[in-house]
Amino acid sequence: MKQLTFLFVLVLGVVFSTVASKPGKEKEVKIKTSAVCDMCKERIEKNLTLSKGVSEAVLNLDDKVVTIKYNPKKTDEAALRKVITDTGYDADSQMCSKTAHDKLPECCQKGNEAHGHH
Amino acid sequence: MKISNLNIYLILLSCLLGGRLQAQRVTGTIYERNETGKKSTLVGVNVFWGGTSLGTITDSLGKFDIARSAKTNRLIISYIGYKTDTIKVLAESNFDVIMKPEGQLGEVVVRGTSSQIDRLNPIQTEIITTKALAKAACCNLSESFETNASVSVSLSDGVTGAKQIQFLGLGGQYVQTNVENIPNIRGLGTTFGLNYIPGTWIQSIDIGKGAGSVVNGYESLTGAINVELVKPDAREKLYFNAYVNNFGRGEVNFNVNKKLNERWSTGILSHASTLQTRVDNNGDGFLDMPLYTQLNAVNRWQYKSDKMMAQFGVKALYENRLGGQVGFRENMRGTSQAYGFGNTTRRVEFFSKTAKMYQDKPYKGLGFIVNGLNHTSDSYFGFSNYNARQQTLYANLIYQSIIDNTNHKFTTGLSYLLDDYNETYKDIHRMRTESVPGAFFEYTYNYLDKLTLVAGIRADAHNLFGAFVTPRMHLRWQPFEHTTLRVSAGRGQRTPNALAENYGYLVSQRWVRFVDELRPEISWNYGASLTQTFHLFEKHWDVVLDYYRTDFQNQLVVDTDHADDLAAHLYFYNLKGKSFSNSFQAELNGLLSKRTEIKLAYRLFDVWQTMGQPVNDVRLMARMMIPRDRVLFNIGYTLPYDKWKADLTVQWNGKARINDPLQSLEATLDKKSMPILYSQAYTNVNAQVSRAFRKFEVYLGGENLLNFKQPNPIINAQDPFGKYFDAGQVWGPIVGRMVYAGIRIKVKD
Repeated sequence: MKQLTFLFVLVLGVVFSTVASKPGKEKEVKIKTSAVCDMCKERIEKNLTLSKGVSEAVLNLDDKVVTIKYNPKKTDEAALRKVITDTGYDADSQMCSKTAHDKLPECCQKGNEAHGHH
Repeated sequence: MKISNLNIYLILLSCLLGGRLQAQRVTGTIYERNETGKKSTLVGVNVFWGGTSLGTITDSLGKFDIARSAKTNRLIISYIGYKTDTIKVLAESNFDVIMKPEGQLGEVVVRGTSSQIDRLNPIQTEIITTKALAKAACCNLSESFETNASVSVSLSDGVTGAKQIQFLGLGGQYVQTNVENIPNIRGLGTTFGLNYIPGTWIQSIDIGKGAGSVVNGYESLTGAINVELVKPDAREKLYFNAYVNNFGRGEVNFNVNKKLNERWSTGILSHASTLQTRVDNNGDGFLDMPLYTQLNAVNRWQYKSDKMMAQFGVKALYENRLGGQVGFRENMRGTSQAYGFGNTTRRVEFFSKTAKMYQDKPYKGLGFIVNGLNHTSDSYFGFSNYNARQQTLYANLIYQSIIDNTNHKFTTGLSYLLDDYNETYKDIHRMRTESVPGAFFEYTYNYLDKLTLVAGIRADAHNLFGAFVTPRMHLRWQPFEHTTLRVSAGRGQRTPNALAENYGYLVSQRWVRFVDELRPEISWNYGASLTQTFHLFEKHWDVVLDYYRTDFQNQLVVDTDHADDLAAHLYFYNLKGKSFSNSFQAELNGLLSKRTEIKLAYRLFDVWQTMGQPVNDVRLMARMMIPRDRVLFNIGYTLPYDKWKADLTVQWNGKARINDPLQSLEATLDKKSMPILYSQAYTNVNAQVSRAFRKFEVYLGGENLLNFKQPNPIINAQDPFGKYFDAGQVWGPIVGRMVYAGIRIKVKD
């Protein structure tokens, strides 16, 4: 039973520390990207969300702006922009990493018309 | 009659409404986008106003024209195989809509419940997605149902590690388990088949309750489980998984998918696992789980063009198991130095699926499935040897089209099944060749998304048991937007494989006797279900209530209730009397908060069978090993893109009927009726935490955290060569608490 209680506390502790660390001194930044379609949206959001210090990233395909909530103690805007350029997309005026961009599927590369989507 | 009247009434109604609002119409074109990104129109798409009966379908150019509704501005666009779209229509009057195929973006969904009820399917179907599969380590199919209330999995005995499904109060052999619509876990595969589908190969699992579709055959007595494997054109190019647990079980899975060009792609799914540590935690002198090694792989090729789709591939499996007393070594086989169990299984399979599509008629299709396999399983239980071989050929030709419009669809075709079994257990030889050509027809009537009626019938000519007809019917009715009702009824038939299906009972010194010439098992299944969706604090919740009854006309009765001073017995005979199963389930699932998902379910089984005919002690008995009550609770917490994920599952299993050869013997000697014994109730708790990084994911979890162990899982473990040794009376966990950890690495494009 002791071990079980320990495990329970461990699981809950992990969950709540993650939840608890979210509010507080969280900052928000908006970055314009060169995302084209839903696949791009997923790729950018995923890579940002899974980066250190980021709690949420939402990309709006209408204006291509990604809104990132992050902990300024763990990361900064420059690092976030780098995640986007390394994923193969422009971040505001910063150009994308060419190698990453060329690896993207054709439909996701710059200069492609937006996929029809409702 | 009722339906056609209703239909005419509704057509009239929509004409009337249409006439009145003619000035204000909404028009548009519906497209899909193919592989190369080209747009093409979709014909026969349902377009209707949400919550009304006002609807239309797109014409041969993909165009629709619909009167505006005074009641709503939500236009719903739905088409089988595509994601249903809802569009808010404001001032606009012309639309182009591009529909997305279902499932294509399934894994992108960030929020939403991980196990879902398929709302449009006329058969009550639960879908276990990759997301739900990731809730547990899911080493293989047997562990994939941990968070599902309908299917439970239990050990079949205390030695071999074989696992069996319980579904609607009956064993896994009564569920038709398909892999991509090809019957797979059947015949000799029933014994260890659940362990032969690694979790990382699985893309999704559909669990259909009640009579299945006639298209896939006649063998689904209680339901159909369909497992979809990862496809060669999946977005995951590479997937590597490694797993290890505290008992020393190690696993490696490696999947590679490669698109060769626009049309061709190929994929390899592979698996290797082993346990080489001797574990005897309960100190009964027997290994709590067998040592084993499994090697398993699939290679598949896929061709896709506008006109046709083809797939073919091979599967190969090798597995070796060794169990029994702790001191047993393979070279002691056939001696009384120690009791040992061994099994070597070799299985080779090929499969091919070809589908012809008609571009201008997307509702039309012609498909052909062929599957062949060779399965050998060589086992020994102490001095008793059991060698078995199965060869199967299965072919199914399917044609699908419409009658007049897409509201009336039909699927028809021809099938052929060849099964060849050759088994030897001690001095019992059993050989059987089944050759079954068949034909089927299934009609589907669809009224918008509100009503679906499926009526199917098939006729099969069995070389051993004669011709028979299998009718099945399903009705789905959605009277209100959030309420779905379903009823179903149908016949099922299968030939039992007594030894392979009751493998666990062979780990004993029971005398096996076939009292009768076994006849096929025949049952009728009836069911009804209600799915109600509601919103609580703006969160989506589902309540599902269902009831199913299975009535057997004939069944293989497996009787382990009897023992005398010569031996304990294992009798196989045909049912003479009644056999039925009632299954009731209530399930609530939904989102507690944006990131917390919860499920609570209760299940009741009431299963009875007339037994005791060989010893003239005929009685209606509760079916063995089936707990009457079961409660399942699951709570899961997920951050976006699964950055952190935590999951907790609690299962409570009520008591089940068991027996004990020594008590049976006592009753025989005292000339009493067989004793009725019950197991204990027990609780099983599993938990898992996982953390995703950009390129990989790690997980840590525990099973059976309360460390519950069935006391004395092996009866007479101290005397395994004695008359009343029995390892087949297992109803709970043997091994105790298990902790595991693993890593998943995925490379996507």
